[in-house]
Amino acid sequence: MDILIQNITTGIATGMVYALIALGFALIWKSSRVANLALGQLVLISSWFTYSMLVQFKFPFWLGIILTMAFAILLGWLIERLALRPLIGQPILSLIAITLGLAYFLEGFTAFIWPQGQGNLPKVFPQASIQIGPAMIQQELLWAAVISLILFILLSVFFKYHRMGIAMRATADDQLAVQACAVPVNRVFSMSWIFACVVAAIGGILISSIAAINYGLVETGFKSFSVVILGGMESFLGCIVAGPIIGLCETFGGSQFGSSIKEVIPFIIIVIVIMIKPFGLFGEERIERI
Amino acid sequence: MSLPCGIRNFSYHTDIAIIRTKTQWVLFMLFVLALFVLPIYLPRSWFDTVNSIGILLVAVVGLNILMGYCGQLSLGHAGFMAVGAFTSALLTSNLHLPFLLALIISGLSAGIIGLIFGIPSLRVKGFYLAIATIAAQFIIIWILQNWTDITHGSNGLDVLPASILNWQFDSEIKQFYLIFAIAIISVLFATNLARSRIGRAFIAIRDNDLAAEVMGISVFSYKLLAFFLGCFFAGIAGSLYAQYRGHISYEDFTFQQSILYIGMLIVGGLGSSLGPIFGTVIIETLQKSLTNTVAPWLEHTMTFMPTGFSSGLNLMLFGLAIILILIFEPRGLAHLWALFKSSYRMWPFSY
Repeated sequence: MDILIQNITTGIATGMVYALIALGFALIWKSSRVANLALGQLVLISSWFTYSMLVQFKFPFWLGIILTMAFAILLGWLIERLALRPLIGQPILSLIAITLGLAYFLEGFTAFIWPQGQGNLPKVFPQASIQIGPAMIQQELLWAAVISLILFILLSVFFKYHRMGIAMRATADDQLAVQACAVPVNRVFSMSWIFACVVAAIGGILISSIAAINYGLVETGFKSFSVVILGGMESFLGCIVAGPIIGLCETFGGSQFGSSIKEVIPFIIIVIVIMIKPFGLFGEERIERI
Repeated sequence: MSLPCGIRNFSYHTDIAIIRTKTQWVLFMLFVLALFVLPIYLPRSWFDTVNSIGILLVAVVGLNILMGYCGQLSLGHAGFMAVGAFTSALLTSNLHLPFLLALIISGLSAGIIGLIFGIPSLRVKGFYLAIATIAAQFIIIWILQNWTDITHGSNGLDVLPASILNWQFDSEIKQFYLIFAIAIISVLFATNLARSRIGRAFIAIRDNDLAAEVMGISVFSYKLLAFFLGCFFAGIAGSLYAQYRGHISYEDFTFQQSILYIGMLIVGGLGSSLGPIFGTVIIETLQKSLTNTVAPWLEHTMTFMPTGFSSGLNLMLFGLAIILILIFEPRGLAHLWALFKSSYRMWPFSY
């Protein structure tokens, strides 16, 4: 019984980390219909940047975080301005391929600047485990879960009520019509990339302060695609619901069939979901016309 | 296809020929001759590059059928290649089957695995399919990693060099002929496939699959056929890779490799028969010279950078190449070549 509750709590908490990364994906997809395959790499590069700020240059924590956020904003703006904007209106194959190119570029860039391949951030959260009923849970995971919940609420409110959020939803729906209504589509796109990079940076700081900074972050990025697929691409709620589901499947599968299967469970879920219900739990089913 | 001035065709047979004029025949013969004598004059250190170009060419030709003609993105091509490589390795070393038979079977097995992961293409496309193939990549590699009874996990398998009827391909030069014979056959096959009924159906599906369905093309079976053919070539390439390297493990077929193939195809040009050739030759040559020549030199001269920084150079430049090509010449180098040819032919008039 204790193990069961233990598994449930760890599963939900790790799932929330996936959900956090997936939020960054849904953000871009919601506003510009671009599938960002460079998720993990964005997380990776912002973690390394934080590492530079906090460990190599020894800035105080608050300054390091502010600088990382500034870096994320700059990165998002640059990516949108230099790579994505020239491709507006191109077929989806090009849009996917350019994020792949971006992924490669960012990965090479991190290896170029930070070739050590392994780094540790100072611990942000208290280390002691918390007792919830009979189960012990790492406090860090709990914090990560709480922060992703807060982000989810903020983003949902922003998309629902803020002018920019409404403009983003409208742009995703019909770009031409929105342009006719004098919405600055370019600014919408670059805002969405900036937001996504900031979310990725927050995710990066959280994950890499819990574990270490290494190539595994990229794989976490790939795994969080399963959250995106299961939850439905355009739904924040989908992310926040599907994340824990994936996390639970992972921990229960791991405890049932040995821990090596953990690596592959998210991908098996992807295949099953795409075969059975391709638009996910909360995604909109798109009807196509010629 | 444009013909030079003054060339007329008097039969369908000449009209559909790939090589049509005497000049083209002469150039083609010269090319074949040059390829044939290349190993004699090639420096020993270049054999590795040239042979891997041949192997990659087969894989990228397969990807071109799938992605360039049929428009179905596959991000798991290295995984399908791994299926072929392991099948071939097991068949030749455990069951002692002849190499050619193992080659065909490994192509078929990779094709069948490709079919399974191609089934979602009926209902989804674009990004969803891309994710499904990423899943394919990781699932295949995970199985190869953990099915240690057969694949020996990270120790990998030793593979004997190919032999056809007591003819051992045990040196780099002999390998060159084997690899390029197969590469040329696959390029010719893919070129002709693209001009056939099947290829035209693929192109129709790529351009608009709903319209293709309305026109009476069975979209599902053609998509599956594209997956089968693309992965078949990947399997063949994997089989060649296995017997060329002599040792394989699951670590040779990473997700980065899959992206590399896509990048080669994009740089070369999607949906043209020349594209894979340009892409593989240029990218592979650049990468090899970067890692072998430029990177050590940079490490040596730029001592103020942390050690090992040049390992990222390859990835970075390659990613940059994909981005730049997509922005400035989305149809790839093959299109630039076509532009050059037509302007050369029309000179001094612009068109």
